[in-house]
Amino acid sequence: MTALALRRDDPGTVPVPGSRRRSIGLAVALGTLLLLLVLSVMVGSTAIAPSVVWDALFHPAADIDQFAIRDYRLPRTVVGLVVGVALGVAGALNQAVTRNPLADPGILGVHAGASFAVTVAVGLFGIRDIGGYLWFAFAGALIVTLMVLALGSTRQGQSPVVMVLAGVCVGAVLRGAGSALELTNPAAFDAMRSWNAGSIVGRPVDLLWPVLPFFAVALVLAVAVSGPLDAMALGDELAAAQGVRPAVTRILAIVALTLLAGGGTAIAGPIAFVGLMVPHVARWIVGPHQRWIFAYSLLLAPILLLASDILGRVVMHPSEIPVGVVTAFVGAPVLIALVRRSKASGL
Amino acid sequence: MTTTRLLTAALLGAALVLSACGGDGDDAGETTVATRTVTADNGTVEVPADPQRVVTIGNTTLPLIDMGGAPVGVTDVTASELSLIPEQQKATFQAATSLGSSGDQVDMEKLAALKPDLILAQLPDSEFEQIAKQLDSIAPTLFWGLDVEWKTFAGALAEAGNVTDGLSGQQAAFTAKIATIQQTYATLIKDTSFVNVDRWASSDPGTFSIADFGCVEIAQGDIGMTFPEAAAGADPLGWTSLPFEQIAGLSKYDVITYPVDAAGRPTEPFAPVVATNTWKALPAVQSGRALGVFCPGNNSYGPVLRYLDSLDAALATLPAKE
Repeated sequence: MTALALRRDDPGTVPVPGSRRRSIGLAVALGTLLLLLVLSVMVGSTAIAPSVVWDALFHPAADIDQFAIRDYRLPRTVVGLVVGVALGVAGALNQAVTRNPLADPGILGVHAGASFAVTVAVGLFGIRDIGGYLWFAFAGALIVTLMVLALGSTRQGQSPVVMVLAGVCVGAVLRGAGSALELTNPAAFDAMRSWNAGSIVGRPVDLLWPVLPFFAVALVLAVAVSGPLDAMALGDELAAAQGVRPAVTRILAIVALTLLAGGGTAIAGPIAFVGLMVPHVARWIVGPHQRWIFAYSLLLAPILLLASDILGRVVMHPSEIPVGVVTAFVGAPVLIALVRRSKASGL
Repeated sequence: MTTTRLLTAALLGAALVLSACGGDGDDAGETTVATRTVTADNGTVEVPADPQRVVTIGNTTLPLIDMGGAPVGVTDVTASELSLIPEQQKATFQAATSLGSSGDQVDMEKLAALKPDLILAQLPDSEFEQIAKQLDSIAPTLFWGLDVEWKTFAGALAEAGNVTDGLSGQQAAFTAKIATIQQTYATLIKDTSFVNVDRWASSDPGTFSIADFGCVEIAQGDIGMTFPEAAAGADPLGWTSLPFEQIAGLSKYDVITYPVDAAGRPTEPFAPVVATNTWKALPAVQSGRALGVFCPGNNSYGPVLRYLDSLDAALATLPAKE
């Protein structure tokens, strides 16, 4: 079998490409991402000449159009890239930990925790700007995920099924409490209406600095647990027989996904389908190899996010559609097509 | 038997006397109160000519108080709305009984206990439909939808609440102020393209709007200043959120008006716009032709007059800077 030929990893799963073909695919994804990064700076709801874009980046001056590039398009491009990476890898970790191909970071209560914390920040503490409630969102996501981890742990160890159920239950309770607060507080209602749509508009790059160290730690953890997660896909007992410690692996993976999803959600609000669809597509392309899934998710998620954001800037000119709305519109039909195809990608 | 009849007659007599005493005030009031008919969005309604216990729901509260009315029951207004009205009006508002946070949250028992002789309501049609029967069963009710023109609304409200004296004075001041502005800035009004921008607490981060509703309607419709407006049949421009990168598009207008508070500072929601480099680079901003204008409200004459004072003061700065 040549490196380019498809090979079958185990009976019943889809044929997956060899490592060379995966590498080529990865290079194509990287090229696409670079192209979208350029497009994201070039395309917007205002027509700005490419020469102005070039000058804005490499010959900065106090020009009104250059400000539009440097102050708005460049930050939202960087924010889209970082948030996309975070949500994509978090989604891949989540699907691996829960052994659920349709899990997204929200299923462990990350979105609900962040959302409730933002509601509290706005409604009870009167915080109005994103920078102010960033830490609330981050802390809310972390606390709720740790709570779900505790609830999902039994004497026999952590159970993915119990964790998912705990996440769904805690999420439902927090959504109810958040709604109650929003309905009695107009300021919270206004803030959450906007935040819940999921957007990368109006987020300065400065917003990223506090969460980047957490993202870096989480990505290192993700790489570290990718091998053990492959072993755990066969079952905890078989993984343990190979020297893997499932409980530790699961905790590290959950810490990583919480940092990534919590940080991403804190910055952009809950963005649907990125953390759900991208790892699913990645698994479809590369098969059940977590390291490859992580690598593909790391590139495909910002591709989806940036492409959706660019689309959202131009389809309703002069207004824009929040990226979270576009990813839902794009993601839902694609995901339906994926799950309906004859050979779904299992875990 | 005779004793029983006598006792029965005595009881009936006492009951009649007591019922006459107890009903004296109400019955006498009902029979002697003069009425008149007022037409509102819910039809022509017979109301007391001089109502003494008025309840206001939704957007009727502050306009009625502005014209000199003193409702006995009100629905809440926002803290920011309350902060914009004069102290005396604030005291009148606070003296009234709060009946709920909004038109669809009215405490009907509390409302009935106030024994109002007139209920005035302005709120979305769908919300009024839910409470209309209950309100009608308590007191004559006049309702206006949200799309009623503000001067028509003020006139009808004044007539219904019997505060037409207050209204007349305000109308005269309004007419005089409009004429003064038109006369003083005739050339400027004729030759200048204005744009009014705004941003609200509910606006998405990183967005603003070219606002064509609110106080700017008075500058446009009554004074004759030229502002961008939506095409016929289209949604108001202000409903469209524009990303900050489109601030640069304001360069094509001669003068920009934007919202400020009573002290002349940009309103809290609008402050992020003023802080952008794009805003600071606008020709109008750099040449002092970006005018902060205070708009405390646009549905009764009192706040509109304060808006016109602010606009007048802002326009007065233009010739010296040009």
